Amino acid sequence: MLDKNNCDEKTDEELVALTLKNQDFFSCLVDRYEEKLLRYIMRISAVTREDAEDLLQEIFVKVYRNLNAFDQKLKFSSWIYRISHNQVISHWRKSKTRPQVLKFEADEDFLKFIATDEDLARDTERKFTGEEVRGIISQLDEKYREVIVLKFLEGKDYKEISDILEKPLGTVATLINRAKKQFKDISAGKEFNF
Amino acid sequence: MGEIGKKVIEKIKEEKIAPKPRWRFLMKNYFTWAMFIVSIFIGSLAFCTMLYVFFNNDWDLYKYLHTSVVGHIMLSIPYLWILFLILFLALAFYNYKHTKDGYRHETYIILLLSIAGSVILGTFLHTLGVGEKIEDFAISSVPLYEKAACCSHRKDIWDQPTIGLLGGKIIEIKDEQNFGLEDFKGTFWQVEADGETIEQEPAIIRIGKEVKVIGEEKEEGIFWAREIRPWRKGIDQ
Repeated sequence: MLDKNNCDEKTDEELVALTLKNQDFFSCLVDRYEEKLLRYIMRISAVTREDAEDLLQEIFVKVYRNLNAFDQKLKFSSWIYRISHNQVISHWRKSKTRPQVLKFEADEDFLKFIATDEDLARDTERKFTGEEVRGIISQLDEKYREVIVLKFLEGKDYKEISDILEKPLGTVATLINRAKKQFKDISAGKEFNF
Repeated sequence: MGEIGKKVIEKIKEEKIAPKPRWRFLMKNYFTWAMFIVSIFIGSLAFCTMLYVFFNNDWDLYKYLHTSVVGHIMLSIPYLWILFLILFLALAFYNYKHTKDGYRHETYIILLLSIAGSVILGTFLHTLGVGEKIEDFAISSVPLYEKAACCSHRKDIWDQPTIGLLGGKIIEIKDEQNFGLEDFKGTFWQVEADGETIEQEPAIIRIGKEVKVIGEEKEEGIFWAREIRPWRKGIDQ
């Protein structure tokens, strides 16, 4: 049995290399990403917690099967988020239930974070309550919601978002700007409907 | 580790799941790159044939066809090869986007690079005469190619002796200014040249040579040649 202390000081990339030699190390990666990815899946999709857990299992198995495809030029976190993103899209395609309006279950940290975001506050000339943010985000287009989640909740930078969504940096910047604009428009009351 | 993690590890062990070998991913990436290069190359073949067709078109033909310059240009555009070029540029774009790092670059940059690749390589191949060989092959091997390809090489255009356009194969030479021509319907014509006749190519009057003759029908079966052009420039039948 692997001692958990063996993992703590290792980077994700080192753990990938170790897993390829000894599959027990994979549990360290699973341990590191289980909670993060479960939250991410629920933030970008409209699935129940049970469905999200099933999806997450499939994601980890897929990650393990494809470990040799991991490109060391990327951050491992970008790669595993990419697989998760693709798996969610694939799940939508299979179930044909892509949500147009999401029942957004944002956690308090996120709501607090985005509600006090200086950029958004400056653009919209006011700050938001958590409940308002929840309402606005649930009405964002899916492509905008995704970048907003990655940028503000998952704390990813432009390069990481580009690697996760497999879009050029310029497109990511445009998506974020448009997401903010849509956020602003909705908050201004055009489409505001809690 | 949480419940999900435990289930994942159990599943991996129970089902003896193993990582796919690295060479499979490498092969997939190399294959995508190879398809990108092949698409650019085929696009360049389409472009060089387009150039050949373009430069070998009879641009002055509108005078005899009683059509406008614009109308003639529209008829002379090698649509078929343009379509091929677009198709393979799209394939090149698709393949590039599916390489490992393909997503990093903006669509317009990939498209511009693909177009530049096909145009530069195509122009080079044109200088080597590749376009000419492709058109020759298409004419001899692809049914209906001539009808679909380009205006001034369409045989029906050169089957109008009453308006001064006659095409066919030289089957008999009486003297330097008098030869027998069989048109594309198999009708025999006596073609007469004189001192004013322009021959677009030296030694154009040879048995077996396919030619376009611009002139005037003097009487039934006799045609006066103002100008004699090879059926296709550069091709020696």
